[in-house]
Amino acid sequence: MIDPLIWRATRAIFLRELRSELRNRQALNAVALFAICSVVTVSLGLGPLMPSADVALVHAAFLWIVLLFAAFTALARVFVVEEEQRTAAALRLAAPPIAVYLGKLCFNLVLLLGLTILVTILAIVMLHIRVGASDLLIGMLLSGSLALVAGTTLVAAIIARSSSRGALFAVLSLPILIPMLVTAVRGTAMALAGVNWERGMAPIQTLLAYAVAMFVTSLFLFATVWE
Amino acid sequence: MALRKGDGLKIFLGLWIAAVIYTMFLVVPQYVGLGDAGRIIIVHVPVAWITSAAFCLSAIYSIIYLWKRNPASDVAAVAAAEVGTLYCIFATITGSIFAEVVWGTFWNWDPRETSILVLLLIYAAYFALRSSVDDSERRRRLAAVYNIFAAVTMPFLLFVAPRVADSTLHPNCAFLQGSKCDGISLSLTGAKIGQLGDVVIEFKSLVKTGTLTHATIEVRMPGMKNIATLVPSLDGDGKPADRPEFPGQQFRMVLLEADATAGTIRVNMQAPGTNLLSNPRTLWVFLASNLGFLALAFWLYKIRRTILQVQLTLTPGEINI
Repeated sequence: MIDPLIWRATRAIFLRELRSELRNRQALNAVALFAICSVVTVSLGLGPLMPSADVALVHAAFLWIVLLFAAFTALARVFVVEEEQRTAAALRLAAPPIAVYLGKLCFNLVLLLGLTILVTILAIVMLHIRVGASDLLIGMLLSGSLALVAGTTLVAAIIARSSSRGALFAVLSLPILIPMLVTAVRGTAMALAGVNWERGMAPIQTLLAYAVAMFVTSLFLFATVWE
Repeated sequence: MALRKGDGLKIFLGLWIAAVIYTMFLVVPQYVGLGDAGRIIIVHVPVAWITSAAFCLSAIYSIIYLWKRNPASDVAAVAAAEVGTLYCIFATITGSIFAEVVWGTFWNWDPRETSILVLLLIYAAYFALRSSVDDSERRRRLAAVYNIFAAVTMPFLLFVAPRVADSTLHPNCAFLQGSKCDGISLSLTGAKIGQLGDVVIEFKSLVKTGTLTHATIEVRMPGMKNIATLVPSLDGDGKPADRPEFPGQQFRMVLLEADATAGTIRVNMQAPGTNLLSNPRTLWVFLASNLGFLALAFWLYKIRRTILQVQLTLTPGEINI
């Protein structure tokens, strides 16, 4: 049974992150503008693609590349800000490490889900993407976002404690995210092409398994990073 | 001055590896289909598996470090990771040379090529992390955490990669979980498009003429401007007949199964060079190479570990590894 104190602390940290973000909107503005600029640039440069065998794969790859780099811009902030504003020590005293991790993870997840909705709608409208199976696409984006957040939150905590933060986050995260990204791109392409749930379940299961493995490992290791 | 036991072993190891290299080029017979290029396998395979073993050892020492917090375990993890990276680069280079000569391409995103590349990226990131943390205790701690975290993703890579490319030019696909080297199944009414390595193929038609069944398949490869059409066939006994070469490559497309009434086929790509070790001379040289490169890795690991340990003892807290 998990200590109710941890739940309370997790909720408090999540709400603090949310409130703080809604007040200054630093991450929100940066990420939303990055996403809009990426989609607009690609739409202008590429234009609507002619129907071909590869078009679903190209659209899926583009969608995940934008999500990935927008995530790099936003997800590391939750821990970097604590170090920059010198509030990390106070947070260490105020809440147990597991609650800090869970609170930040939930905030990152909400941020990424908002970003995913924005990017997907923009991409569908501007690039004239045809969605074959919208329910499967939603499932794929949800499980992909979960996997992306589970894979990067611990790395964000690691880089916050190093000297070269910005560049290091991408360097450390990319090799870890490759299995998840490959699956997400393939799965999203299948959803855009309109395959049925029976075939589309395999990538979703892999993404969820990846998310669970990364989440459990992070729970074990976070206290060591945070100490 | 009399040679010490350690010096004798070093000389023996040098002679052993020199003998392996000599035998590999001059004694082992050429393999039909691979020619002289097949000789590189005798070095490539041992180097590749020792890479994985070294990285596993590094992850184990990282776990021990987090458990005991003894800097000596971190030193061992770094030494193993360094040896692993060195061997990984060597495995990638030898593999690429072999692939260019035999398969006609330096890189084709084969599952094994992908996993070795990701390993290289992970350990490059591991060293980048180590160099960007100033405090030595924190550096050890964060690097150990990253090493373990990265190790957890490896099964996913081994699990996912074979599904990304259901076919591999590497033999012994049984090593890769989820891959049986079965090729891919395509259907005129269902999934028409598939991927063999990094080649995208599209099943266009299936025609039965006499005893032969011909499948028409369009092929698109990276860097290729036009779409090529290959027509592999199957004879009346269900054995592959025509096995056309992929354009500009030295591997072939093979039709393994075809059902003209259902409009389904199973195709794979085939590279020369299976059963390479059935020749006893090649097998013995291969085993000697395994032993030699394993001993070399162990020796390099021991030297590096000793150097790092001495540095740690002389200047605790200042060593930047």
